[in-house]
Amino acid sequence: MNDMKNSLSLIERLCGAFGPSGCEGEVASLIKNEIFDVCPDAKFDRMGNLIAVMRFGDVTASERKRIMISAHMDEVGFMITEIKSGGYLGFDTVGGISASVLAGRRVKVLTQNGLINGVIASKAIHHKDKKERQKAVDIDKLYIDIGACDKEEAEALVRIGDFATFDSEFYTFGEDLVKGKALDDRMGCAAMIEAMRRLKDSPPKKNIDACFCFTVREEIGLSGAKAAAYELSPDVALVLETTAIADIADAAASRRVADMGGGVAISFMDRSTVYSRELVDAAIDIAKRKGVKAQVKRYVSGGNDAGTIHKTAEGIKTLAASVPTRYLHSAACVANINDYFAQRDLCVSIIEEII
Amino acid sequence: MLKILISEIMMKDLKRFIFSLCAVPSVSGFESRSTEALRSLIGDELEFVSVDGVGNHLFCKRSGKQNAPKILIDTHFDEIGLLVTEVLDGGFLRVCQMGGIDPSIMQASDVVIYGKQTLRGVVVSTPPHLKKDSDLPKIEEMLIDTGLSTDKARELIEIGTPVGFAPVYTELLNGRICGKSFDDKACAACAAFAIVNTPKEALAGDVYLLLSSVEETNRLGGAAAGAFSVMPDYAMVIDVNLARVPDTKDFETVEMDKGISISVSASTHLELTRLTEKLCVDREIEHSMIAAPTSTGTNAASVNLTACGIPTVDVGLPLASMHTYTEVVSMRDCETLVKLVGEFISSEEIAEKMNFSEVSFI
Amino acid sequence: MNFYSVLKELCLCPSVSGREQKIREKISAIVSPFCDEMRTDALGNLIAVKKGVGGGKRVMLAAHMDEIGFMVTFIEDSGMLRVATVGGISFTAAAFGEVVSENGVRGTIIPEEKVKPADFKADSFYIDIGAKSKKQAEAKVRIGDFFVLTPHVQKLAGGRVCGRPLDDRIGCAVLLDIAERLRDKALDGDVYYVFSVQEEVGCRGAMTAAFAIKPDIAICLDVTATGDTLGASPMACRLGDGAAVKIKDASVICNEEIVRGLCETAQENKIKYQKEILLFGGTDTSSMQLAGAGAAVGAVSIPTRYIHSGNEMCDLSDAQSCAALVSEYVKKIG
Repeated sequence: MNDMKNSLSLIERLCGAFGPSGCEGEVASLIKNEIFDVCPDAKFDRMGNLIAVMRFGDVTASERKRIMISAHMDEVGFMITEIKSGGYLGFDTVGGISASVLAGRRVKVLTQNGLINGVIASKAIHHKDKKERQKAVDIDKLYIDIGACDKEEAEALVRIGDFATFDSEFYTFGEDLVKGKALDDRMGCAAMIEAMRRLKDSPPKKNIDACFCFTVREEIGLSGAKAAAYELSPDVALVLETTAIADIADAAASRRVADMGGGVAISFMDRSTVYSRELVDAAIDIAKRKGVKAQVKRYVSGGNDAGTIHKTAEGIKTLAASVPTRYLHSAACVANINDYFAQRDLCVSIIEEII
Repeated sequence: MLKILISEIMMKDLKRFIFSLCAVPSVSGFESRSTEALRSLIGDELEFVSVDGVGNHLFCKRSGKQNAPKILIDTHFDEIGLLVTEVLDGGFLRVCQMGGIDPSIMQASDVVIYGKQTLRGVVVSTPPHLKKDSDLPKIEEMLIDTGLSTDKARELIEIGTPVGFAPVYTELLNGRICGKSFDDKACAACAAFAIVNTPKEALAGDVYLLLSSVEETNRLGGAAAGAFSVMPDYAMVIDVNLARVPDTKDFETVEMDKGISISVSASTHLELTRLTEKLCVDREIEHSMIAAPTSTGTNAASVNLTACGIPTVDVGLPLASMHTYTEVVSMRDCETLVKLVGEFISSEEIAEKMNFSEVSFI
Repeated sequence: MNFYSVLKELCLCPSVSGREQKIREKISAIVSPFCDEMRTDALGNLIAVKKGVGGGKRVMLAAHMDEIGFMVTFIEDSGMLRVATVGGISFTAAAFGEVVSENGVRGTIIPEEKVKPADFKADSFYIDIGAKSKKQAEAKVRIGDFFVLTPHVQKLAGGRVCGRPLDDRIGCAVLLDIAERLRDKALDGDVYYVFSVQEEVGCRGAMTAAFAIKPDIAICLDVTATGDTLGASPMACRLGDGAAVKIKDASVICNEEIVRGLCETAQENKIKYQKEILLFGGTDTSSMQLAGAGAAVGAVSIPTRYIHSGNEMCDLSDAQSCAALVSEYVKKIG
């Protein structure tokens, strides 16, 4: 039970941190603190990726293998593009967010003086004509209200190019479900942190270097993971992610992607990667032997850091293991904590066994 | 002797240098044809390093210091243009576009055909009394009139011949200048001018000027390969930026004559961006910050993500009528850009903070 | 080697993007007498090296081994298979076609009832393998298995061949032919014969292979569309008019010196050639151009009608011109 509590608290802390793509500093320092006990010499590379290497077995051995494990620290968010008259802020998204989940959301804006509160809004329904009422408000008609009285006041505080994110409460609900912003991919970060702790307690007896990479900028498709993979040139890479699922009432069985509570989802193919069949089969086999609940992703959609990692330099064999997540890229992502445990446990087992 | 004279004069007169460099033909994918012209313009002042298989031209100015950092300044050298896909009866040419040309400027415009000889031509236009509607034909449906007989045209022009717009340069009021290919060769000229005119002793590192290829026609741009071959410690990518004109939105544009723009973007290096902004404030360089959330639409993202990552800042020069042969920039902004590049390559503070050479992971 | 029988053997071996083991084994066996070293990289590219005597340029020649196809994503209670596409499938061409899985399971690819051709997409198609139930289907097929349109090749009138997947097994056959022609020729530089993976899903394999090889010159051997079919967009490239020297496609502008060198080589050796400007589509050429510090690239294409359909068509004489042209060019520069 304590275990559950600790994990939830870790995920909550991580999700609460401010970290849209390109501005991951707060998440990174939080993680650096969390892993200080197990890996005090974790370092940042020039892109801002946080890399922590744990070396197991005989460090002087000539034959050593290297595995890279990565999860991205960034989340989808916003950037201020314009200070409008009246002190309202024009903005655009950083990463893909559907216009239908924007209006009415609370946000935090990172200004020169730190975080301030805001809310995304548009004109009231009374001012909308029949056509406007029927569709999501376009992003250039939305604005962020920070309560400024006029343009001057807003300009004194907010700069064009300042970042913002959703401001959303983290909570548990239903049966084993969690809800929050940025579960994508702070759950992956949490799984890596907990896996590191476990490996510290019972180190594998193999001559392997496990390189844990907390990466930047996944959500804009120009992933920092590429730079980390280039730097490390691992034998195998494991990407810990979330995957968008549609296992809701009304969805055809064939399009649900994966089941909430069905375990960690392993991908055969997504829009950025065709995964090696041998590696996928090996991962499924490891899960089976170690009693970790796993499922295969049953739809081809999305993409993740595997897409850039596997094509890096001379090529890297890559696996992706994801927590099935509903309502991805919104202020209210929903996942099952047991799938998170499965992801974490599979991560440990894969490090121990895959090479 | 004459060559030296040319470049000496050029490096004292920014406007003339801009006109000269922008007039060098460099249709995307055919940059290597102009290596000699480039060398005669710049090569006496900066060390010519190489022209690679992708068409990137690389120049260098060394600081003479030991263990000096490498600073990369990237501007793309290619320009939009056309390519002959078929030589038709009557000496007409079918073409496709090299880069995103605005079809509204095409009909009845002057072009230069870089065939076995350099030839002039005119884009065919149907006169209004023969035309039914105002819909524009696609570029692939437009023809170029060479004025040549079928046989002569086939002799002088092969499939795959590049076609550019006529290099005509005029001056407008208030130091604004008008002509083709300021995108991005006006920036290239300003960068070269700044590097040449910064004394070697003042440089914070060895400065590499990459005049990169195929930015207009390739998602990554030649800069990806060019930056890889240099492996600089940090980089500035300079490209033109859309100027505010009638019928545009304020937040998508920058004002002319108000200096250069610096992009804040998730696809570039935030710390280097802030340091560059600070440099502008400290040295009183006119600038504005603009938001380019996901991508700057320039070479900056691909340079930034080269190899282990190259911290990169994206800088813009305001330009009106982008991707036409009558682009407009302000000399005042060009001078501001020259000043910024000069300060950027001399900044010890940036060189110090962008030093990642000690970091190793295993 | 007998070109047609090699081509046929390669075509009849299904290998979708990302699952190229079988075709790689076949090609390895054929190319091994023509090269000095062979290796397979992390993504599965087969890299065969003909060692040079020293100095000289590093030349990379590439043809892709993979083909478009389908991946099974879900098995319905009825035993029908839901699929995703791998690469640019044309559903109008695939509808009601025969398919076969990587393990030899046969079936047919069918659009759902009442879906109009204009609305064809992966979600509205399924594969029927004849299974009576989900259980029976699961005994034959797993999620993640790949299917292809059933391969076949035949000779037609005029020295032409028809079938699939000529894209790009004919390029592989040409590359093998080149390797044989160069076998006994001493060259200064190393020549790398690369049979690349995952071209159809975004030219992925050639990127990592080129990064490792760092070629000075890289030439791609792939198919190109033609302008000689009824109703085609204007394009000055025809079946039977010889090797197509690529000037550009949507992803790349070839190095001008290589284009010139190839054309001159063709003229000197009286090899039939034509120039190619493809306004849509891309090839491994672009991946090789910008990998690492970049390379000078070119491409010699085999003109092909009806690309990505169940019946692609080539002229064998064009393939022979391609093999002759590239081998003469390599002799000249190597």
